[in-house]
Amino acid sequence: MIITKSEFLLRAHLDQQTLEVWIQEEWLSPDQGDAEPVFSEADLARAGLIRDLQGDLGVNREGVGVILNLVDQIHSLRWALANRIAPPQDE
Amino acid sequence: MKDPYETLGVAKTATADEIRSAYRKLAKKLHPDLNPGDKSAEEKFKQVAGAYDLLSDEEKRRRFDAGEIDASGAERQHERYYRDYAQDPGGRRYQYQSAGSGFDDFASQDDFLAELLRRRQEQARRAPGADRSYELEIDFLDAVNGATKRIMLPDGGSLDVTIPAGIEEGQILRLRGKGAPSRGEGPAGDALVAITIRPHRFFKREGDDILLELPVTIQEAVLGGKVKVPTTTGAVMATVPKGSNTGTTLRLKGKGVAKKGGGAGDELVRLKVMVPAEPDAALENFLSGWTPGSNYDPRRDMQS
Repeated sequence: MIITKSEFLLRAHLDQQTLEVWIQEEWLSPDQGDAEPVFSEADLARAGLIRDLQGDLGVNREGVGVILNLVDQIHSLRWALANRIAPPQDE
Repeated sequence: MKDPYETLGVAKTATADEIRSAYRKLAKKLHPDLNPGDKSAEEKFKQVAGAYDLLSDEEKRRRFDAGEIDASGAERQHERYYRDYAQDPGGRRYQYQSAGSGFDDFASQDDFLAELLRRRQEQARRAPGADRSYELEIDFLDAVNGATKRIMLPDGGSLDVTIPAGIEEGQILRLRGKGAPSRGEGPAGDALVAITIRPHRFFKREGDDILLELPVTIQEAVLGGKVKVPTTTGAVMATVPKGSNTGTTLRLKGKGVAKKGGGAGDELVRLKVMVPAEPDAALENFLSGWTPGSNYDPRRDMQS
């Protein structure tokens, strides 16, 4: 399911400028659509995480990047572990 | 729900700063995305966040302290957590880097893990690009007969679209590999072209048939004769039978829209008898000397 940029801004409670910074920082890397980026549900959930980190948790700009990188590594690890326990079917 | 002061572990007299720092401390420990495998984290986090929402709002805190409101319903609703989407295709993309080189140290000792990671990276690398959507408005006759149209893209490029004969309004053409390029080395996505059709001046379409209203003269209607009839592939000669009327319909077999399984629909030509728009002395003259048969009455059916 594709989310357009305007819908994304609305649902993520973001303004255009903030979104641009997040994309520049590579915290979000949406697909490039025809004229503007298009987003996924995962991007939306990720935006929620970034908002929580910066808002509630008081993490600064540098910290967000570090945390996201580690979170991504954890999900890779979890994926590898899950598949090590229950091997995936051939795709 | 528990007492919000207790939930955050602060005294009733705590300052706003103390409350915030207590909340942050707990949130860092409990945020579901920082505990992706702990299902209970979400429940605990909701309680803590709810308590913070209540106590960080001065007015709400005052009313709670005064006993005007209780802590029920103060659990924070969170729509979604990233952990629930991280293994979706959209989330996997972010792991592209770490899946590749993040486990080199284990992978060298575990063939199975190495194979898994290799496959995963391969998948990410081969993932196709995103689909792109376009709209294309075409002429009625192009929709019926087929055509090749060019879409100009915002980036200056262009896209040639082959319209199959008989395409219908709203149909979407998928052009393989004409979408966004892959992020890795996979194939490009597809272009999805939604077709809208401009109406024609006199042709209409109904399923596989073409409808046409054809004006004829009184003479052609009464005496019959050959008339030139436009079709979607050019004019043809057709015979108007003697004694035709407005509403008489001629069927031109196979002159309709190409059917999917081969063959074509028909063109249905509905005649419309026209009196000359300008007064015509000769016609008036002739008709004033004409007496219809005694039982001729076009309005007979309307008499009670």
